[in-house]
Amino acid sequence: MSWNCSITEERLSDSLEGLLSREDAAAFSAHTAGCADCRTLLAQVGPLVQRMQRMEMVEEPAHLSARILDATLGPRKTKAVWERFAGWAVGLMQPRVVMGFATAAASFVIVLHTAGVTPGKIKRADLSPGNVLRAANRQVHLTYARGVKFVNDLRVVYEIQSRLQPEPAPVNAPVHQQAPEQQTQPSDSNPQQKTETQPGHSQVHGGTMLASLVTDSFMRRSR
Amino acid sequence: MRRHTRRVFNLCYRFTGNSTESEDLSQEVFLRIYRTLGSYRPAFGAFPTWLTSVTRNLLVDHYRRTRRDRITDSIDDAMPVLEEKHSSSRTPDKLAQESELSAQLQVGLGKLSPDLREAVILRDLQGLEYNEIQVVLQVPEGTVKSRINRGRIELARILEEMGLKPE
Repeated sequence: MSWNCSITEERLSDSLEGLLSREDAAAFSAHTAGCADCRTLLAQVGPLVQRMQRMEMVEEPAHLSARILDATLGPRKTKAVWERFAGWAVGLMQPRVVMGFATAAASFVIVLHTAGVTPGKIKRADLSPGNVLRAANRQVHLTYARGVKFVNDLRVVYEIQSRLQPEPAPVNAPVHQQAPEQQTQPSDSNPQQKTETQPGHSQVHGGTMLASLVTDSFMRRSR
Repeated sequence: MRRHTRRVFNLCYRFTGNSTESEDLSQEVFLRIYRTLGSYRPAFGAFPTWLTSVTRNLLVDHYRRTRRDRITDSIDDAMPVLEEKHSSSRTPDKLAQESELSAQLQVGLGKLSPDLREAVILRDLQGLEYNEIQVVLQVPEGTVKSRINRGRIELARILEEMGLKPE
């Protein structure tokens, strides 16, 4: 088939949209390369199509949707101002919302209390950024120091408790010697039996350890 | 709802070139859709295609109704401005230039015959596929392709006569 201007015009859109076969595309290109009229047509239509396809949709008038809804579903009842407010108020009175507000307020109070802020004692100078920063810094260090002290105290208490407890029986002690005693003695008399067998050793040992611990602790703190 | 409204309004606006008329027509389209929603069947195509068909039929009715008193050569100066995508780096000068080009393009569309105009609008401005246009216009695919091709060439010639070069 000999490619001519008429065919070029007919297949112009196919060429622009990439729908030509390889042979047709080659014939199309060969013809437009040699034909000034077809080249001009291609130069006019190609950019025009691109331009139209790039175009954004025109924005419809803002009231059009409402107008259509009115025409199809009927006019909507417009609420008075107090009705709108009442709607909001009813929404806010939901238990979930109230609980949320209460939780937020409680959290706020706890944070204020932790930060050492007393709302009644706040002065205007306290609200300057520098003072707020200094106060926050001081509060952080105080809280940290309190925490460290608390942990140290706890450690001392636990150490004392652990030292005052009787030493456990050696692991390699023969088990069969205690077995008959456990069989003959009632189970509630065992602790008494144990305290009676070695009373002096435990008290003396615990007292010595306590004295040394208190001394250690005192020395550490004074340092 | 907003998406469909915009689509219908654009189709009406591109076809009529008049914003007020397009508003009335859009409302009429949705009224017709609302009344005949029960008769919609998937066999009519996807809902947007059906919506486009209803709009197109209404536009054809409107075109026939207003044939006598229509003046296609004049266009309302206060019509909305067509905008292009990716317009972040446009200067005021360029904006004015583009709006003028767009207005001229709308004038050119108005000068096309209705058959070619609707084919070009559906393909290039509404972005429909050939098979969707075939459903909307109720004509064979070959006719759809032919109308689109002739519409594009005709529009390019009209714009050339108007001294407009869409770069």
